[in-house]
Amino acid sequence: MATTETHGIGKYVAVYVCLLVVVALQFFIGYQNIEGPRLVVRMLTFAVIETILVVFYLMNLSSEKRNFFQFVAFFMLFVLACMNYVWTDSFRLLLFRLTGFGPS
Amino acid sequence: MSEAHVTMGAHSAPPMEAPPFAIPSKKLAMWLFIMADVMTFAACVAAYAFTRNATPDWPRPFHSVTSVGIMTFIMIASSATMLIAFRAAKTGDKAGAFRWMMITAALGFIFTLLHIRDWLNMMSQGVGLLQNPWGTAAFGAAFYSITGFSLLHISVGTIALAVVAIRYQGGRYNADDIEIVNLFWQFVGLVWLFIVPVVYLMNLAR
Repeated sequence: MATTETHGIGKYVAVYVCLLVVVALQFFIGYQNIEGPRLVVRMLTFAVIETILVVFYLMNLSSEKRNFFQFVAFFMLFVLACMNYVWTDSFRLLLFRLTGFGPS
Repeated sequence: MSEAHVTMGAHSAPPMEAPPFAIPSKKLAMWLFIMADVMTFAACVAAYAFTRNATPDWPRPFHSVTSVGIMTFIMIASSATMLIAFRAAKTGDKAGAFRWMMITAALGFIFTLLHIRDWLNMMSQGVGLLQNPWGTAAFGAAFYSITGFSLLHISVGTIALAVVAIRYQGGRYNADDIEIVNLFWQFVGLVWLFIVPVVYLMNLAR
């Protein structure tokens, strides 16, 4: 029992440290001279990693029943994919603005 | 009275239908609420993305994000303390669960105060819903609506944490209720981790 408990805490500590590292990387990238879609892609990639860590481990989704896990996981991946699509698509407007072409 | 009626009346309680996914109804309700909230936040972020990239003079007012960094650290620390509270409740350590939940609520309160301080700082620089000194007026509306929606969740979560902790201590709530608050609190922490890059880090002054 004690071993299981220690193992469980070890898992959470590892997840917590990973989360701190990913957030620190986000702040580091924020201060770099990266612009436009490249910055967005990097930020959102880290945000997706954070989401997986928090939802699967801190919200304990990984220990839920398989069908419920699939239900939430598919929904979450769908929303994340939509957000990534929308962000990258929004740069089309930026391109239109900069080049002067696009829908009037 | 019909025979069917008499037969039904003989049972003390009608048979209950098993909850969907075989998880407790309260927990399922919280997950469904979170999923609905995820869509609301995703819509806000999508609208923000299009407004930001379609606007020529979008301001980049943030010279330093030290305060936001501290707030983020507090939020992540509160996620850890909440998890410790939940684990304590699961093992039956009532005093420990209460103590860690109150620590989480205190961290949430500090976060709320820092957030309000951040807002007051922005207001003192002339950022309102419909005006700001740097560029397009839409910046203020976007900033206050996204961060305000998050702040609302965090302040409500802080109150909920304190209420559930006190009721758990008094024996009216059990570990299942703490698990539900844990779900909500981890979710609001996650939302903040999306807001920081989108609203603050992408608008750092170059």
